[in-house]
Amino acid sequence: MLFDKKYLGLIGTGMAITILTVISCEKDLNKTDPNAPEVPAYFTNSAAILAATNSVYSAMHSQPLVAREWFFIHDMRSDQVASGGGQLGADRAQILNGASDPSNDIITPQWAALYTMIHRANTVLDFSPNGKDNAALTARNVGEAKFLRAWAYNELVSMWGPVPIYTTTVKTQNDFQPRAKEADVYKQIVQDLQDAAAALPEKSAYGGSDLGRATRSAANALLGRVYMQTGDYASAKAAFLKIPTSGADGYSLTNRYLDNFEEETEFNNESIFEVVFVDKGDNNFNWGGDNVGDGPSADQSTVRNQEYCPVAWRNLIPSNVFLNEFENTATGAPKTDPRFSFTFYQTGDVYNQGKSTLTDGDQNGNSSVVNGVTKKVSWRKWMLMYKEKSSFHPGGNNQRLIRYAEILLDLAECEAELGSPAAVVTGYLNQVRARPDVAMPPYPTTQFPCVTKNDLIKAIMHERSVELGIEEVRNIDIIRWRKKGYFTTDPLSYFRANRDELLPIPQMEIDNNPKLDAGGISKQNPGY
Amino acid sequence: MKKNEFFNQLMYRFMRIGLLPLVLISCMTAVVSASPTSGQEVLDRKINLIAEQREVRSILSEISRLAAIKFVYSSQRIPAHQKVSVQARDKRLSEVLDVLLQPLDIFYRVSGNQIVLMKKGDVAGDLIFNKGGDSGTPAEPPSMATEITGKVTNENGEPLAGVSVLIRGTAKGTATNASGNFTIAANPGETLEFSIVGYKLVSVKVGSTTSLNIQLQSDASKLNEIVVIGYGTQKRSTLTGAVASVSSKTLNELPVASIDQALQGRVSGLNVTNNGSPGTSPIVAIRGISSINYATDPLYVIDGFPTGNLANFDSKDVESVEVLKDASAAAIYGSRATNGVIIVTTKKGRRDGRVQVNYDSYVGMQSPSKKIDLLNTNQYVQYERALDGAAGIGVPPRMQPVNFNQPIYAGAKQTFAQTNTDWQDAYFRKNALITQQNISISGGNSVSRFYTSAGYFKQDGIAQGLSYERGNFRINSDHKFSRVFTFGENLFLSVGNQHYEGTGGNRSPLTNVVRMQPYLPVYDPTNKLGGFMGPHNSFDGADPTNPVEPAVLNQYTIKTLKVLGTTYLDINLTNWLKFRSTFGVDYINGYNQKYVPIYNDGGTIANSSAGINNERQLFTTLLFTQQLTFDKSFGQHHINATAVFERQGQNYTDETASGNQSTNDTKTLYGATNIAANSTFQQNLIISYVGRVTYDYAGKYLMSASIRRDGLSVWAPGHKFENFPSASVGWKIDQESFMHSARAISELKLRAGYGLTGLNAAVGGVGANGTALGDYPWDVGVQVNQALYPFGGGLGNGPASYYNQIPNPLLHWETTKQFNVGADLGLYDNKLTLTAEYFRRKTDNLILDVPTPSSFGLGGAGVNGNVASMENNGFELQAGYHQREGAFKWDIAGLVSVIRNKVLSLNIANASIAAGGDGDFGGGAPLTNTVAGRPVQSFYGWKTDGIFQSAADVAKGPVQLAGTDPAKSTAAGDIRFKDQNGDGKITDSDRTFLGSYLPKFTYSLNYSATYKNFDLAIFFQGVQGNKVFNAERVIVEGMSRLFNSGTAVLNAWTPSNTRTDIPRAISGDPNQNVRPSDRWVEDGSYLRVKNLMIGYTIPASGLQSLTKGAVTRFRVYISSQNLLTFTKYKGWDPEVGTRRTSLTNGIDYGQYPSARSYQVGVQVGF
Repeated sequence: MLFDKKYLGLIGTGMAITILTVISCEKDLNKTDPNAPEVPAYFTNSAAILAATNSVYSAMHSQPLVAREWFFIHDMRSDQVASGGGQLGADRAQILNGASDPSNDIITPQWAALYTMIHRANTVLDFSPNGKDNAALTARNVGEAKFLRAWAYNELVSMWGPVPIYTTTVKTQNDFQPRAKEADVYKQIVQDLQDAAAALPEKSAYGGSDLGRATRSAANALLGRVYMQTGDYASAKAAFLKIPTSGADGYSLTNRYLDNFEEETEFNNESIFEVVFVDKGDNNFNWGGDNVGDGPSADQSTVRNQEYCPVAWRNLIPSNVFLNEFENTATGAPKTDPRFSFTFYQTGDVYNQGKSTLTDGDQNGNSSVVNGVTKKVSWRKWMLMYKEKSSFHPGGNNQRLIRYAEILLDLAECEAELGSPAAVVTGYLNQVRARPDVAMPPYPTTQFPCVTKNDLIKAIMHERSVELGIEEVRNIDIIRWRKKGYFTTDPLSYFRANRDELLPIPQMEIDNNPKLDAGGISKQNPGY
Repeated sequence: MKKNEFFNQLMYRFMRIGLLPLVLISCMTAVVSASPTSGQEVLDRKINLIAEQREVRSILSEISRLAAIKFVYSSQRIPAHQKVSVQARDKRLSEVLDVLLQPLDIFYRVSGNQIVLMKKGDVAGDLIFNKGGDSGTPAEPPSMATEITGKVTNENGEPLAGVSVLIRGTAKGTATNASGNFTIAANPGETLEFSIVGYKLVSVKVGSTTSLNIQLQSDASKLNEIVVIGYGTQKRSTLTGAVASVSSKTLNELPVASIDQALQGRVSGLNVTNNGSPGTSPIVAIRGISSINYATDPLYVIDGFPTGNLANFDSKDVESVEVLKDASAAAIYGSRATNGVIIVTTKKGRRDGRVQVNYDSYVGMQSPSKKIDLLNTNQYVQYERALDGAAGIGVPPRMQPVNFNQPIYAGAKQTFAQTNTDWQDAYFRKNALITQQNISISGGNSVSRFYTSAGYFKQDGIAQGLSYERGNFRINSDHKFSRVFTFGENLFLSVGNQHYEGTGGNRSPLTNVVRMQPYLPVYDPTNKLGGFMGPHNSFDGADPTNPVEPAVLNQYTIKTLKVLGTTYLDINLTNWLKFRSTFGVDYINGYNQKYVPIYNDGGTIANSSAGINNERQLFTTLLFTQQLTFDKSFGQHHINATAVFERQGQNYTDETASGNQSTNDTKTLYGATNIAANSTFQQNLIISYVGRVTYDYAGKYLMSASIRRDGLSVWAPGHKFENFPSASVGWKIDQESFMHSARAISELKLRAGYGLTGLNAAVGGVGANGTALGDYPWDVGVQVNQALYPFGGGLGNGPASYYNQIPNPLLHWETTKQFNVGADLGLYDNKLTLTAEYFRRKTDNLILDVPTPSSFGLGGAGVNGNVASMENNGFELQAGYHQREGAFKWDIAGLVSVIRNKVLSLNIANASIAAGGDGDFGGGAPLTNTVAGRPVQSFYGWKTDGIFQSAADVAKGPVQLAGTDPAKSTAAGDIRFKDQNGDGKITDSDRTFLGSYLPKFTYSLNYSATYKNFDLAIFFQGVQGNKVFNAERVIVEGMSRLFNSGTAVLNAWTPSNTRTDIPRAISGDPNQNVRPSDRWVEDGSYLRVKNLMIGYTIPASGLQSLTKGAVTRFRVYISSQNLLTFTKYKGWDPEVGTRRTSLTNGIDYGQYPSARSYQVGVQVGF
């Protein structure tokens, strides 16, 4: 009909416009998240790589790691702690008593959080070629990432033995890695630490707002530790000797032993690497929830003061074995080691800047037996009650991970293992004993004659124990010394060979990594 | 002549603007409607027509289009080819016809929408006419015939004018005159068909009698109604898919806030479970559960606008609701159709030139319908000794006489021992108000029509602190501004205010109602901080919270503003080709305020600072639809084809702000401390191409095929599009000639269809576009500065960015294949109707979160993948009997739905998805488990095997707690759990499946009747064969530690009371008698008298005289909901939804129960 033809042109035009609209429309389907930029779009410059590097540290100081479960697992795998009482959670008690199982929910998140650090470090490394706009900064970040990745792998290999190695971020859901031989894991760690030592500056290069970042000395210290663990004492010694002892980048012992465990003396001359915590004043702790508990305003405190504090939860107390390790005039030592009272609080001690005195009633839970006397003894290292009286306070005291006193003791052990003269060994040990407020008589002593290698090892084992008590090195020492047969009876009362050397691989990993045993190592550790 | 001058001028103007000599302008009058048309109404239609020197038949053809009528005439008797001129501007049809036909010696008679033209002098019965009317083809020559005369009346005996009388199989016919009389010449053996719109066709065989009296029955059958389907309408008789319609009347029988609640029990295969306090949407599932991870919410399409839910919508505005159940019907909505589609069409004005005003109002009272027997104070004292005594625990200090006989507060005369609080009475509210007011004004004429309404709804909860209030406004209108163009708009605006229960988790207020000690009073007037009393943990030996206190003092509100508007432009290109362009906006502003003031009951609740937590959610959804519809018949072939382009995009903004106040005087963040704020923005877009063709041949053979191609922004590039095809066929057997002898069968149709639909997991019903996966599931985003590390002790020194996902660029919709067969049967003129459907639906690519190994470093975050499959098979039957004659008219309709659900596979063999575990409700073990081969989220736990009667019995039985010393943990009186695997100990592997929350069948029965001016409706609704996990019974009779309990605990096992199924009372529950087991799984079947209504309509005549014509209709009614419930279920209410966590349907954690209510209402028309 004519009428309709009249409109046909109009309609045709309309439809043409519609079709054009439609075609241009399909491009609108390409939408990306305006809140979170895409991975390749974001990691394109040095600032982004710096932020990625910071996220590795952030994971490290999270609840499943250094802020909480890391010290629990280390301590409970040592012979230095005992249960504070019934309040210790069932999953923790499992570990303390050697009854861990693959679904233990302290062990499982720790494994996951260590791999989160690795994934985040791998992110830095994958995208580091994009940091050309500040090549120096990016190179340092690469060093930091490698240091932190090595730390994480060292934790993994120490606790679980053969573990999967990921050196790049996972791209698809089928990028499974099998368990690698312990030697290969160590090889990876050594490589990372060598690279890190080469890339990282010493501490003087960092300003105040960068305190806590990994340094060359931290890398060398960790490298030395790792070499010792693999039995390569010569390389270990070489690494330790690279740590400067004088000048702006030099490390030395503090005069006061407790400076290493109190909030006011963080980042002192003895501290080689520490994990940073801050108390926001709201008395909160980031209990987490998801993995490592991220959040732009998440709490930055550590709960250590709460967990171990004599007047708070007191979940773990010193073991009797450890309490009796200290030299005491009552047991024939020429001097009672002052480090006993630096390490522990006992009933009658004053705290809260001298304003309060500790009673039995203040200390909830179990008692200890020290030199035959039953009393309540609790931890003092890292606790904040020296300056306050509070039954709930997570706190912001930094966790010193490596301090110079340990390097001296490490060197002593290297020299002893390498067959150096006794004087060389005792020389290192005596530096530690000579700290002004410790001032223990130098080796040899009647109790530690330090003549044979065996004598020297005994002195080293003793000295490491009392100097580094509850600093999360004892269980690593036990692993090293157990292999060498230095113990007549195993320090762990429950120890069963071919089982308790390692923790169980988390069931979650076994269930979801079909290639876990593809390298010929069975999915689960022996005995579980 | 003045008149001619006017027309000449008009013509001149048209010539001036260059139009052709023959110009027609028009404004169309009534479209073909389903309402009966009177002859006068037809003649009153106004038309515009200007024609010069055109053939009569051409002009008649034009008029027939303009006035939407048909001319019936014989081109031999009418000078069809004579050329004439007509000029009419806004003239009544009768005037135009007079002017046109009188000079030609032709007179006319109106019959329905047909106008029969006759040459003067012709006898009506001799008329031989051409049905097509406008083609002018010669009709058959007259034959020798008997003249039959008669009268046609309606069921009340009133004469019917304009009834078409046709000899079947010929083009011969006539129409009745104003007195209902007709005359027609027919041969014996021929069949006369009497038809008029709105009445059922009557066929009479011509025999020897020459006089016929015919009574026509008005056609209330649904089979001829027009059904709204996606992007169009279709006659019910030609439908090939499974589509159910619910009328406005049915929807508004129940006094409920939303349409979905009103749909409960009205449609077979549509399952509605009420779930929570007023203002909370129910759980709606069409044809079962199609997804493991995502909700069952169907897609709602309101006046063509696809949206996520019906919250804040006023059901009084609804003209009809259509439920598209099977894939062949729903696939037109493609990627959003798996859960079915509910199409809501709102009211429009009538074109009768009158303004109608309707006022609809009711007010009612709601009360809880059931109470559970709980211990009173004396019983509690007795129970405490039994429970604590068994575990060697002393009497709690409060219950020792020195304290128990203290006044409940300073100055009170009553002691704790004398106090006997019924916490159910304290928490529940009786006679809670429910009311709705709605006023609507509608009207229209041939050019414009409108419907506008305003409504108010308020429902108080039957428990403290819960209510919902809504005010709404609507205006719908359309305007024809030329023969070609029509513009219309629908605009809905509503504000809602819901006070909701703010307690998170599964510990519902009812759990505290059960647990609260009866010796404590609700209030403590001496308490300046809130005025309530609460228990003291150690002093009372138990630590529930006063359930009334937070319900009254905390203020959790959601204020919603919703604007839903569409405008459209219709372009009628020709009779058979129409174009519609639609633009729409759906805007929701949801403001969720959580305010917790400072209060302290000296016990378990102590808020030292007021918490303020505000969240604003803004959803803006824009719709843009272009639609072209072709509809034409070619002889017996009828084709309807539709092509659509649609684009729907959604923006979502979320803003949160929170802080604390140190006083209760300021309830805002003004001057607050700890202020934290955040906001996010998201977008998505769906682009669709839709095509559909329906074809029928002679109304017998029906076919329909459609395809929708959807593109959704949330998937990865290259995977954004997917096609959703469907096809269906139907066979109307009753139209076959061999069925003519089967008189009883008035309708018989077989249908079958197959199609593919998708599910994109609408988020909590907020927007139809969004997915529960977020808007960017494939796109791994960096969490920029979402962590930090305080280098050097400074919080700002180490902002940290990371990502923790692996993308799955292959992720796409869960797609479901569905097959449906159905049959419709109508007997005895559709007095008896039956519809049966059988369907199979299978989803192959359900999305599950496939866990990654934690060594990936993603914190165990999984990767979503399309990895699981599930099927639902079912059967639906709907039957009705309709007694429409006589003074007593009644109607009975029943329906039954049977659905079987089975998970076919998960991501790996032997995978299981456990859910619902909660330490309070059975110790923490999961309550449901989803595995291949079973219905989704089947209840899961241990089986019980009676009670140990002696220590010897314990020693013989399996170790009840593997790894423990049975002598310490288990004793006589404890539950014996079944050792399913026979290893001598009860472990996790002895758990088994304990049934499904999915009913074996659901059913309903509706009976309605009218007698004179009275009307009655009774509606039964029920579910049968489902299980409920009565987790609340763990609280009521679990006895794991001291709390108040149900009286059942007084029947606990003791050495002297051994014939009981309640185990021994012992604090600490060493045998873990509460663990999830068949003890707590109950039959959830129920039958409910959902509604009973009795109404009375004041007779029209009396009303007219009484109100002097002001009031045209006045009906008053009373009704009751949930009057009776028949069930064996022991909890408050067998209708159990979910606490809105995944895979926990049918677990009763003490949910808000259904209320029993009574209303009185009026409906007035002016």
